[in-house]
Amino acid sequence: MADVDIVIEICGSAGDGTISSGEILSRFMSSQGFEIMSFDSYPSEIRGFGKCVAHSRISNKKVLSPGKYTDILIALNNAHAISQLHTLRETGIVIFDNKPPNYLEEDQSIAGWIEPGMISYGIPLLNLSQKASGSARGRNMVALGALAAIFGIDGEQMKSAIHARYAKKNKVVIDSNINSFAEGFTWAQQHVTKVDSYTFGHSKPKPSKEKKAIINGNQAVAQAAIDSGLHLYAGYPITPATKIMEIVSRELPKKGGVMVQTEDEISAIGHVIGAGYAGKRAMTATSGPGFCLMSELANLAVMAEVPAVLVNSQRGGPSTGLPTRNEQSDLNIALFGGSGDSPRIVLAPTSVNECYTCTTLAFYLAEKYQTLVIILLDFFLSNSIRNITTPVPPKANQLNSNVAPTKTALKDYKRYKLTKNGISPRAIPGTPGGMCISTGLEHSEHGHPRYDRNTHPAMTEKRFNKIQGALSEAPKPRWVGPKKNVDIGVIAWGSTAGSAHEAVLNARKEGINVAFMSTVILSPFPVKEIKKFSEACSRILVPELNYTGQFANVLSPHLSRSIERLNMVTGLPISAEDILEKIRDMAR
Amino acid sequence: MPKKDHYVIIGNGPAGNSAADAFRANDKDARVTIISDEAFSFFYRHKLPQFVAGNIGEDDLKVRPYSVYKEQNIRLRLGQCVDRIDPEEKILYLRHMEKVGYTKLVIATGGSPRILPSLTSFEKHLRFMTGYNNAIKLMPEIQKAKTITILGGDLISFELVKALRTMKKKIFFIFYSKCFWPVELTGNMSAKICANMKKKNIEAYADDTVETLTEKGNLYTLKTASGRTFKSDLVCCFLGLVPNIGYIIGSGIDTERGVLVNEFMQTNYKDIYACGDCAQIYDPKLKDYWISIGWSNAGLQGKIAAMNLLGSSKVVKPLPKSIRDVVGIKIQTSWWDHF
Ligand SMILES: Cc1cc2nc3c(=O)[nH]c(=O)nc-3n(C[C@H](O)[C@H](O)[C@H](O)COP(=O)(O)OP(=O)(O)OC[C@H]3O[C@@H](n4cnc5c(N)ncnc54)[C@H](O)[C@@H]3O)c2cc1C
Repeated sequence: MADVDIVIEICGSAGDGTISSGEILSRFMSSQGFEIMSFDSYPSEIRGFGKCVAHSRISNKKVLSPGKYTDILIALNNAHAISQLHTLRETGIVIFDNKPPNYLEEDQSIAGWIEPGMISYGIPLLNLSQKASGSARGRNMVALGALAAIFGIDGEQMKSAIHARYAKKNKVVIDSNINSFAEGFTWAQQHVTKVDSYTFGHSKPKPSKEKKAIINGNQAVAQAAIDSGLHLYAGYPITPATKIMEIVSRELPKKGGVMVQTEDEISAIGHVIGAGYAGKRAMTATSGPGFCLMSELANLAVMAEVPAVLVNSQRGGPSTGLPTRNEQSDLNIALFGGSGDSPRIVLAPTSVNECYTCTTLAFYLAEKYQTLVIILLDFFLSNSIRNITTPVPPKANQLNSNVAPTKTALKDYKRYKLTKNGISPRAIPGTPGGMCISTGLEHSEHGHPRYDRNTHPAMTEKRFNKIQGALSEAPKPRWVGPKKNVDIGVIAWGSTAGSAHEAVLNARKEGINVAFMSTVILSPFPVKEIKKFSEACSRILVPELNYTGQFANVLSPHLSRSIERLNMVTGLPISAEDILEKIRDMAR
Repeated sequence: MPKKDHYVIIGNGPAGNSAADAFRANDKDARVTIISDEAFSFFYRHKLPQFVAGNIGEDDLKVRPYSVYKEQNIRLRLGQCVDRIDPEEKILYLRHMEKVGYTKLVIATGGSPRILPSLTSFEKHLRFMTGYNNAIKLMPEIQKAKTITILGGDLISFELVKALRTMKKKIFFIFYSKCFWPVELTGNMSAKICANMKKKNIEAYADDTVETLTEKGNLYTLKTASGRTFKSDLVCCFLGLVPNIGYIIGSGIDTERGVLVNEFMQTNYKDIYACGDCAQIYDPKLKDYWISIGWSNAGLQGKIAAMNLLGSSKVVKPLPKSIRDVVGIKIQTSWWDHF
């Protein structure tokens, strides 16, 4: 079976059906057994403006990163697609509308920008759409049809996938989509002379027996939260986290839970802490600016030892920043934001799969360690669509991780009892004998405010100590490659880890002695494993999407050595190619 | 700031490329653009027979890499067809609905397959090989076909036969010796050619004509005036080239068989010149027009056209004749290079 690894981008304006056609393509190719990593970017504005890009990497091998270069660009809008051409491979392909209603000026037509070596297939998208559906709406489906015909995708099966996508819509919608697809398919079959060598035709993988779910990071988080017994979701909409709220608002009530759209982010985290205090699993999701607002009140969960799960999907900052662009620059605020010494658990999934597992883990840890657990996603991970093995919901014993007081303890109940592991058994309000004071003020074991010279040190130490237990419950850092005498060790976190992993695998194929480590848990910090990795490597590289190297700065004091950095703030996910280039540079 | 000059060349053959090079060599600032409807780089047309036979790859066809255009700052637009020229407004209308303005224009669109009037009704069943676009379509068909009929009336047809023999295909060759292109066959040349072909196991028949050509289930049945029947998987037609000017007719630019130009390669519009296989060039001595043919002529004319557009006044002359070997027979060709 020939290797297939093709990146397709559909680029249009908001309202062109760019994202929906990308979704259909990804889902269909996934159903055909291909590995998928897709990523949509879209404007923060509403329909009628702005550029949308549906990016899909489709492969019959395992894929770990979205792919830097596009092989096939479908232009639904000339101006936007022209601005996307810089990502097209030198031998890439452009599918574009060669019969727009009017002649375009030289700089407005994508054909005017195509470099020699690239191949363009002009398809009368608008004409065929009008013929098939009586409107311009079906241009995206015409393009998909042409794509299928040119690149050896089964047209009949794809039609069924389109049917399934619109099954809940009325017949007119279904028919116009299917007919538009069929028009594009037939036209391309009859008129396009294929002069490129890309094809999916000869390389269809064997369908896997595993049940696959095709979801993005936000969907994985929402699903995991619901599967983890989420009772209350409170939130205020913000890109790129809004989707979590949308899903929860639809699905949570069906499970008897409650979704509250609050007046702002402060209120949202207040609701979560309130529900947590009352013994219910609760969560909020936000992004940079909202996270800043929450950071003060979120500290109450730390001080009052209340379980709270807070998802922060990072975007470009500071301030309103770049709402629809990617960045990993909220690490500092996630780890250290807030007043005082404020220990919290921070988890950063590196893949869509881990978005699910980290969320279930977050609820478990928040409840057991009675504290704030922050899940750090980012724009890419939130929107990155993968076909993953259907996640296994948490087992019953994971759905309640609260360490409850014994009957004896309730006789003289000390809510903040100093224990060996720092966890004070927690009586849910209403538990007979469990009456206590909970406060954001420093407090005694009974919860009474205390500012004496002994209480604060003891309680501070307790709060730091208790979360150390989370280290043994979180996945161990992943180490790929040799265990000693490594020339270059790459340590990555969050969504950058996939690209770093792929870059390391490719660098190893080139004969470079390089290894890879990533960690999901960032606080408490897995010092032991990362130190061991560092000791095995002559040089350490940390690639990340922020200007100052926030993760490298966290590592530095633990490793007491110099760390080389690859920091990017382009708003785009870091690519395996970027990291590989840096590794090659270091190896030279 | 004044707007930059835009020198546009339609055609990516030897004429178009040497025009572009000459523009760039003599004007560092102007925009220079080549537009070609073939989605492939500047290539050696004479190598197409070996290419479709699978004996050489795409890289062997290329005259030069794309990087040359980048280095010279020449914009190369491939796979884009000019549908119409408006010489008054100085605008080209491209098939994919784009308008391209120019200040100076060189027409270098070469030739297209010649189809004899007696064959026009069978055109849809015939395969040609004048450029990359039709060669790439033909290639898989040739690979698949076991038996191929060739209507041969030009030098290219012999090159294809040579290439097909390496593939061990069964070939029927119907030899149009009377209207041979680009040379006239004299004396008993055609009989000798046929005899030599037969020696090489090719069924060759001189001066028969096609009466009917039908297709059924991908099998073509060809009946000739003399009553012969040929059944084959493919029928290829090679009867020479005619200037490719269909898209120019009606634009106001004077044409006859080709684009009419004076001895300086200038058309009836001062900023439009034509050169290479598409041009019909006036010779003041002959007081008549001649049609350009052949690779080297085209290259030479492209350069002269560009230089003259920039202010020179060089007169074009055809290159000397050369001798070519066709299945063992020496033929004097008109400007047809022997590679
Ligand atoms: C198979 C074959 C074998 C040959 N062998 C020999 C040989 O051995 N010796 C020899 O001397 N000559 C040979 N020739 C002829 C020789 O190749 C031509 O004389 C020469 O290429 C002419 O050059 P040109 O630049 O005028 O046109 P061409 O090379 O024909 O180039 C014409 C260009 O115009 C472009 N074009 C046409 N119409 C449009 C349009 N509407 N819009 C945009 N672009 C357009 C085409 O895409 C092409 O790029 C052969 C030709 C063929 C086809």
